Amino acid sequence: MRPFRLHEPTTVQEAASALAGSGGGAALYAGGTELLLAMKSGLLAYDTLINVKSIPGLDAVSADGDSIVIGASATHSAVEHDPLVRERLPLLSEVEHGVANLRVRNVGTLAGNLCFAEPHSDPATLLLVYEAELDVAGPSGSRRIAVGDLQTGSYETSLGPDELLTAVRVPAFPSGMRAAYSKFGYHHRPTLGIAAALAVQDGVVADARLALGCVSPVARRLSRSEDVLRGERIDALTEDSAVLREACRLASEDADAVEDMHGGVDYKEHLVRVFMERTVLRALARNGGGDG
Amino acid sequence: MTTRGFKTVGTAVRRVDADDKLSGRAQFTGDLEVAGMAFCKLVTSPLPHARITRVDASRARALPGVYAVLTAAELVNMETHYGSDKKDRPVIAIDKVRFQGEPVAAVAAVDLAIAEAAVELVDVEYEELPTVTGIDEALDGAGEPVHDSNFCHEYGYEWGDVDAAFRECDRVFEDTFEFPMVYHYAMEPHTCIASYEPDRIRLWTSAQHPFLVQAEIARLFGRQLDQVQVVVPYVGGGYGSKSYTKIEPLVTALSREAGRPVRLALSVDEAMRTVRRHAARGTIRTGVMNDGTIVARECTGYVDTGGYTDNGVRVTERFGDRMPGPYSLANVRVKTYGLFTNSTPAGSYRSIGGPQAIWVCESQIDVIAHALGMDPFEFRVKNLVREGEEVRRGRRPIEGDLEYALRRVADEFGWDSWTPGPTPPGVKRGIGFACGVTNSGASPTSTSLVRFHADGSATVYIGSAEMGQGSRSVMAQIAAEEMRIPYEKVRVVASDTTAVPWDRSTGSSRSTTLMGLAVHDAAVDIRTQVLDLAAEHFEAFPEEIEAEDGRASFKGETVAFAALVRNMFGGSGGELMGRGYVTPKHPSGKLRQDPVFWEVSIGAAEVEVDTATGEVRLLRYYSISDPGKAINPKQVEGQDEGAAMQAIGHTLFEEMLYEDGQLLNPNLVDYRVPVFTDLPHEFETVLIESGNGPGPYGAKGVGEGGIVCVAPATANAVFNATGVRISTLPLTPERVWRALHEAGQA
Amino acid sequence: MAEAQDTLAVAFELNGVPVEASVEPQTPLIDLLRERFGLTGTKRSCDVQVCGACTVLLDGAPVSSCTVPAFEVRGRAVLTVEGFAADESASPLIEAFVNNAAFQCGFCTPGMLLAAKSLLDADPAPSEDVIKDYMRGNVCRCTGYKKIVEAVHEASEAGR
Repeated sequence: MRPFRLHEPTTVQEAASALAGSGGGAALYAGGTELLLAMKSGLLAYDTLINVKSIPGLDAVSADGDSIVIGASATHSAVEHDPLVRERLPLLSEVEHGVANLRVRNVGTLAGNLCFAEPHSDPATLLLVYEAELDVAGPSGSRRIAVGDLQTGSYETSLGPDELLTAVRVPAFPSGMRAAYSKFGYHHRPTLGIAAALAVQDGVVADARLALGCVSPVARRLSRSEDVLRGERIDALTEDSAVLREACRLASEDADAVEDMHGGVDYKEHLVRVFMERTVLRALARNGGGDG
Repeated sequence: MTTRGFKTVGTAVRRVDADDKLSGRAQFTGDLEVAGMAFCKLVTSPLPHARITRVDASRARALPGVYAVLTAAELVNMETHYGSDKKDRPVIAIDKVRFQGEPVAAVAAVDLAIAEAAVELVDVEYEELPTVTGIDEALDGAGEPVHDSNFCHEYGYEWGDVDAAFRECDRVFEDTFEFPMVYHYAMEPHTCIASYEPDRIRLWTSAQHPFLVQAEIARLFGRQLDQVQVVVPYVGGGYGSKSYTKIEPLVTALSREAGRPVRLALSVDEAMRTVRRHAARGTIRTGVMNDGTIVARECTGYVDTGGYTDNGVRVTERFGDRMPGPYSLANVRVKTYGLFTNSTPAGSYRSIGGPQAIWVCESQIDVIAHALGMDPFEFRVKNLVREGEEVRRGRRPIEGDLEYALRRVADEFGWDSWTPGPTPPGVKRGIGFACGVTNSGASPTSTSLVRFHADGSATVYIGSAEMGQGSRSVMAQIAAEEMRIPYEKVRVVASDTTAVPWDRSTGSSRSTTLMGLAVHDAAVDIRTQVLDLAAEHFEAFPEEIEAEDGRASFKGETVAFAALVRNMFGGSGGELMGRGYVTPKHPSGKLRQDPVFWEVSIGAAEVEVDTATGEVRLLRYYSISDPGKAINPKQVEGQDEGAAMQAIGHTLFEEMLYEDGQLLNPNLVDYRVPVFTDLPHEFETVLIESGNGPGPYGAKGVGEGGIVCVAPATANAVFNATGVRISTLPLTPERVWRALHEAGQA
Repeated sequence: MAEAQDTLAVAFELNGVPVEASVEPQTPLIDLLRERFGLTGTKRSCDVQVCGACTVLLDGAPVSSCTVPAFEVRGRAVLTVEGFAADESASPLIEAFVNNAAFQCGFCTPGMLLAAKSLLDADPAPSEDVIKDYMRGNVCRCTGYKKIVEAVHEASEAGR
């Protein structure tokens, strides 16, 4: 790996100005699980890495009203095992357990995973249905964006060259919401990820949140499929029901699947239909409420 | 003698390398430090097929800390090409590159960082040539051939009247099956340290065949054998990837340029561009009678040997030898071809040509059984070669009862009583069977030396490389057994060409059988000498003396072997030397015929297929291993299970993907090898000990059989579950789904 | 305000012993362990955090030393296979690996042992499925995994 220098700021402001002053020669470093592999292989090269873990308190996981706030340097393992997350975001804990392998989870961070914007991310897909928000800091202050506004392409985000993600704010699902996540594939990275969260009131789908990831460069919500499910009676949402089939069909249409090592477009679209149905049914089967 | 029971043979002794390997002390080549050592990085071709028009290393040579840069221009006063059968591989690319990743220049520097920086400063210009990708393009012959032509080797044999048999049979089947390029992933990538010195060349290297490396290096650099020392420390997995000579010539030539020892440790990316298994295509025509008797088989096959021959000649032949299968066939015609393409050279990989051949053979056997309405198991049994029959004309007859072995596996698997049981909608279960015999490629040539020390301990000297198979423990067991001393008193020194006597190689499941025989004979030589000394001591005949546990006894009196040796030398020291020579003329008479043994492979698989996604889950897999005599039963199981797990890789996931000559997945993120969660719920080795091998105690080789049958048994099970035949590996979800989809089953 | 550094002093506990070293930011932990401290039991293989041959425990948690930078160990405890094997508490797991033929070439074994230790520390009686799931990030190309699962089971409270 090409030599680089390490900058260890102690405040977010310091990190932001170091980033701003580097003219693109610096990158933020948290877990490094993706970044360092790219640097080892020569795909990326930086003069300086800015270690966000040197900023005190950025690894905290805390509650803020209905939301759980996950600091930028909290690892996947820390999130998975955090008592607050397990209690109030059990599906996030479950999905974090499935990320890569134990060693990656022990080092890699949730925020880093989102910012690296590798297309095959489970959390990036799941957080869409949690309607998570991101705290973004820059030299001129901070702003809050929806998680869905972060990734703009393969390895590309909307963050400015002098901005950093400081926290991921994940609201717990409203009571009565049932949720499930499915991933599929045999490669090291998932071929497909689907998240479904359905609010059920009096036997009717009051709200539906569906997200799809990995089959295309950017994870996305599937609003047309959500619209189809909203207002439907859940006892009518059975395997092969016309409504569910329509939601699955629209999901595959909206997938924008790309052909790659994980499969051809038609296969991926087919998988979207299969797993959309399975995930919705699995979510609905969790009739105890909550997202567990 | 005949009533004596084994003391250590047949038991799962503590491996002699256990303490080294479970403490972190075990040294592999990359763990060694040689004084003054420089570090090497390679400049490799980004193009799969090109003429090299210019190599300019002057900027790299000028970088402080760079000792030398090796290019084709430096290959003077030496032979320039090497190879086990055809010497077509240049030490470093000369004039032309034939695969992406072929080394074009090599840098030796003070440290790896400088070497890496210097690599960027080597300027190479290429004139790109059209790429030959895969078997079809190699056969097509358009564009520039990889070598003089794209044909590497042709092989064939025939007996009976094949054409007449096809005319007279009731039905003829013709099917084609494809096997992918796969990579061994020995976890230790190839590593070599070479020290080119005025009076000798020393190498420490991750090689399976130290003496073949020694001979190749001596030839290339014009040295005598005694001037070339090859030391093989522990090897971190071989499976054939470290057979013959790989990076050693390049590192030696670079050491000569640098004037100091040089180390090259490949990355996985580079190892994937060093050697792989041959992709293959096989077509079989089979003529059968309506009662299920096979009367003729005609096999045509192609193997893709990549940019250079490596072991392509033998693999072409073995693919042909193995394709007709373990059946009694009156009429056979086989023709196989090895082809050059612009891809990583293909060499040995655990049962060369075997998994490819049996994939073709056993997939088609299932096709035929189904078409005839016969149980695929009974169809196999009906046509199986019988004990003592020549399964290949002019070769050693089959030495075991295959039908018994097949029935054992079927019984333990529960073939006859199996039912799919309840499954969720869209999920289907099925079972499949496969069997094969593989002619071991083991050459019956090994030597061994045993020193029996004055304190009753002994050192055994063998050429075998310890790459995980446990050969050092097995040799210690055999030596202890035959010297009548405890296992713990035996130490094994291995694979240093200046210390141990010659051995051909470590591969082809040969070490226990052939090196084992050499060690056996050397230990018997010691025992004979000890008994002579004891006879002198007791004033008795040698045959009257009991020897056990390091002591000789006669009429109630005992004397330690150690005391006998010390007495012989008249003092406190001294030692005996025993030797064992294994040649085709070995006095046992069992090594005259080729092959020295047949390795049996049988597999029974149960799968679950998710027809919606195409995912195949291997629920149960039963394999057989017949080591003749299991000298260490746990290690025999370990060989079989490990081989079967590697096969699960090429059956379900593994494939090197090339596009326009570029390897798309040169890393473990994208090249998926099996992990813990791929372990079937039942993963069993049925161990039978037929006692009919040519090795010590009737032992014969294992370690390759387990890899051969997984793919056909699994695909046959997928067919049983879904009615859909898949003719190309691996059985990835997408491939299976497409096949099901086309058949209207998805 | 901190300046960017091109060398860093690291003080940490290595196999129970306090140590210090100077590292460059790009130095991965494996190079510090192997080259500075001569602890060659830690192996480099895939170099992309898939295989687990380079596994060491950082404050008790398995990490890939091929990728984790050496500076990350500041103020923390690193356990390598050498430190693990030297401790008496390792013996049930080591003996279980011997008894079950849970190693062959030995290249994955240091990482495998440390992953298994970390599992048994967290869950003294794991089920077979838990063993497979926990260990799925450690590749072994020789054994076929079954014998490692059996060894970990034997070394667990459930297997004794």
